[in-house]
Amino acid sequence: MLYREAGQFKTSYGKDQSILPIVQDRWVLGIVLVVAYVVVPLTADDYWFNAILIPFLVYALATLGLNILTGYAGQISLGTGGFMAVGAYAAYKMTTAFPELNIIVVFLLSGLFAAGVGLVFGIPSLRIKGFYLAVATLAAQFFLVWLFNKVAWFYNYNPSGTIEAPPREVFGVLVTGAAATPMVKYLTALTMATVFALAIKNLVRGRIGRSWMAIRDMDIAAEIIGIKPLQTKLLAFALSSYVCGVAGAEFMFLHLGSVETIAFDINLSFLILFMVIVGGLGSVLGSFLGAGFIVLLPILLTNLPAMLGFDVAAVNAKHAELMVFGALIVFFLIVEPNGLARLWQIAKEKLRLWPFPY
Amino acid sequence: MDFLYAVTVAPLLDIGQDPTFFAEVVIGGLMAGVMYSLVALGFVLIFKASGVFNFAQGVLALFAALTLVGLLEGGLPIIPFTDFKLPPLPVPLAMAATAVVMIVLAFAIEYLMLRRLVNQAPIILFMSTIGLAFFLEGFGDAMWGSDVKSIDIGIPDASFERWGILFNQFEIVATGTAAVLVAVLAVFFQKTRIGRALRAVADDHQAALSVGIPLKTIWVIVWSVSGLVALVAGIMWGAKSGVQFSLSLIALKALPVLILGGFTSVPGAIVGGLIIGVGEKVGEVYWGPALGGAIENWFAYMLAMVFLFFRPQGLFGERIIERV
Amino acid sequence: MPKDTSANQTLLHVDNISLSFGGVRAIRDVSFEIKTGEIRAIIGPNGAGKTSMLNCINGFYHPQEGTITYRGQTRKQMRPHDAAAQGIARTFQNVALFKGMSTLDNLMTGRILKMKGSFLLEALYLGPARKQELEHRAFVEGIIDFLEIEDIRRTPVGRLPYGLQKRVELGRALAAEPTLLLLDEPMAGMNVEEKEDMSRFIIDVNEEFSTTIALIEHDMGVVMDISDRVIVLDHGEKIADGTPDQVRDNQAVIEAYLGVSHD
Repeated sequence: MLYREAGQFKTSYGKDQSILPIVQDRWVLGIVLVVAYVVVPLTADDYWFNAILIPFLVYALATLGLNILTGYAGQISLGTGGFMAVGAYAAYKMTTAFPELNIIVVFLLSGLFAAGVGLVFGIPSLRIKGFYLAVATLAAQFFLVWLFNKVAWFYNYNPSGTIEAPPREVFGVLVTGAAATPMVKYLTALTMATVFALAIKNLVRGRIGRSWMAIRDMDIAAEIIGIKPLQTKLLAFALSSYVCGVAGAEFMFLHLGSVETIAFDINLSFLILFMVIVGGLGSVLGSFLGAGFIVLLPILLTNLPAMLGFDVAAVNAKHAELMVFGALIVFFLIVEPNGLARLWQIAKEKLRLWPFPY
Repeated sequence: MDFLYAVTVAPLLDIGQDPTFFAEVVIGGLMAGVMYSLVALGFVLIFKASGVFNFAQGVLALFAALTLVGLLEGGLPIIPFTDFKLPPLPVPLAMAATAVVMIVLAFAIEYLMLRRLVNQAPIILFMSTIGLAFFLEGFGDAMWGSDVKSIDIGIPDASFERWGILFNQFEIVATGTAAVLVAVLAVFFQKTRIGRALRAVADDHQAALSVGIPLKTIWVIVWSVSGLVALVAGIMWGAKSGVQFSLSLIALKALPVLILGGFTSVPGAIVGGLIIGVGEKVGEVYWGPALGGAIENWFAYMLAMVFLFFRPQGLFGERIIERV
Repeated sequence: MPKDTSANQTLLHVDNISLSFGGVRAIRDVSFEIKTGEIRAIIGPNGAGKTSMLNCINGFYHPQEGTITYRGQTRKQMRPHDAAAQGIARTFQNVALFKGMSTLDNLMTGRILKMKGSFLLEALYLGPARKQELEHRAFVEGIIDFLEIEDIRRTPVGRLPYGLQKRVELGRALAAEPTLLLLDEPMAGMNVEEKEDMSRFIIDVNEEFSTTIALIEHDMGVVMDISDRVIVLDHGEKIADGTPDQVRDNQAVIEAYLGVSHD
């Protein structure tokens, strides 16, 4: 009942093609945006910003990036961490070399480096199918982490080997650095995530998105229709690496503040992959849902036993996390490979009728 | 200039100047390679028989090793709500018990996971094995604890010299074990009825089903055999470098081995493993210092990537002809 | 009813095509032509090489010998997307739709070669990108009307029954506005009504859009009814070539179908 489409007729193809053709969806999005931009900054405390909201938005962006490659184009990548590292280190080098450069511009440029690296590893391996791209991305992952560790130029010869986000302002407001307020960082991450989500959604519902999905679903048929597989996959790979690079820069500058190469190791790649799977392969909304779910899960796991009155000293939280992650992945793949996004869709379809039974 | 020299000329000079040492490095590499091959074997088995790349193979090896150590040391409270703890078991009994555990695990995996993913896209199956890997790792750690353990199954680790070159007894045993295992598996696949059925299943699940091949049984068999192979690999690796988390990362190293050897080839897994083993060792010893060390982290993958360029199906793999 | 196409221009002719896989010779020295505007059926017992022939025409298989001349240009082999760019579209024996996408998206994907893209404009969905998208949508809606599949526009094709999937696949091929349409058993697995519908669509495509059609089909009734000329293949060789009536009375064809052993 709540979600009735009856009475909503589209009188032009243009209206039918809009991102949210159903009015109720637009209301929901409007409310979410208002809450995100107005309510949250006024009410949330530092813990929420630093531990939940900012990482959520940064991870969501990275998940969007990986979703382009794995969810839409169907190519598996295990190198997300490595590409995020490229973005972070590129941003660091750029801003330390050119401190006057606007930090948002730095973020956007850092993605280009990641895209370039992505092409270098992608070109040889996208000509063939199957798990081969996974191998190339693994190569990238291990090589890049090693590179940023060994070559001291990347961390400006800092003896501790870490890189730290220097304070930078945008329009006079401190955005990065130790003194920047969490709320400002949150708003920056939020804006980046929303803008990217919109752009990616536009790409994905048009010609380019369809060519990716065609390659994913049946690449032989796609080629016979006239889609060029190599170019299509390369575009997905480059764009995905770009977005992950920007997310990596945000990861360092907005979330962690200072970072060592180990933060970008293969576990990060797996984490983002899990977010993609849980949220839903090939879904912009799913990227956000998956990221949110995975960010909240450990917090839930540590607090839940206490809330329920259990004593779980025997089972370490970290182990439980691994087990739950693993089990969740298998669960989602079996039950709903399209993840939380599809569950949301199903819920909406049920809402069409509720509270009536049929 | 210095760097260029260090990377191109110096290593070759080093090799030339001390050929005995080079031979030792190569042999060390071969031995390490044998270990890789053992793990890769498990992959090939499952891939050959079900078309699934089992990312959890490394974790299976770790899990097997953990279980073995746990049984050897004793202390597992197997009857709940009592204080009864299992005493340390003698080696043969512990091994047998671990083997049983791995077979039970294979049943569980088939029932809970594989059965429900019949005929899904390979990428989905692959990702489910990633989930499985994480789950087993957490489970193993929770059961047995995550500190490094050592396995002692009675194989001496002494070194001896022959023909002026240093050999290691343990590594010889490992190589011998691997050779036996490979021979047994090769015969199994080529000559037996079950082997043929396994190959059919790898080709097409639905077709195999329609011919009457019991998919579930096949999968249980394959995953059990793989589990046993993982057990052997886990023992070997564990006895050599201790049983710890990094064992599960071996799974990742197996990918380059399989690229080199071909995903469906048992001899390929061996040859691939040896090449990677030697390549890594030689690379690390002779080229490593010039590049700052620790090239082993990425050398195997880079080698695989280069290989992909020239021969994507690996040395022994089959060229896949697509039919539309 | 078959029409007389002997006066028409030749659109495609294949000369002395031979194709082998490993040791298996799928096609042996086959030559024939297809005239513009006709419906040409390719028939023959299973394994005769019919699908392989279609695969050669649209560049998916590369014959070891022989040439293909399409629109006056002779070549030894084509890449699939060149074939598509030259106006050859096809459907497949085992429906090759993009199962994760809706009917509408599948049809729009069929039109991809007609879409010029600017990456940046598409990301912003502005001006020309939007206009182009809507134009193509309008065209595709025409096909949806033609094939009477309006109510399954948004359904993911993986959920459609087989008969409808075949129709959507035809739609995807039509979306490319092809000059030559290759249909591989478009009526396999259909019941009588569905076959009548599909036959009607094929004839309409041929008459209204002047599309030349090459069609592999097993149902003899359909073949006799809708095709203008027929080629018969058996064990990779051409054993008959002519109008449906000529072919039906051909002794070699009868023997091939009844399985008289060849010595």
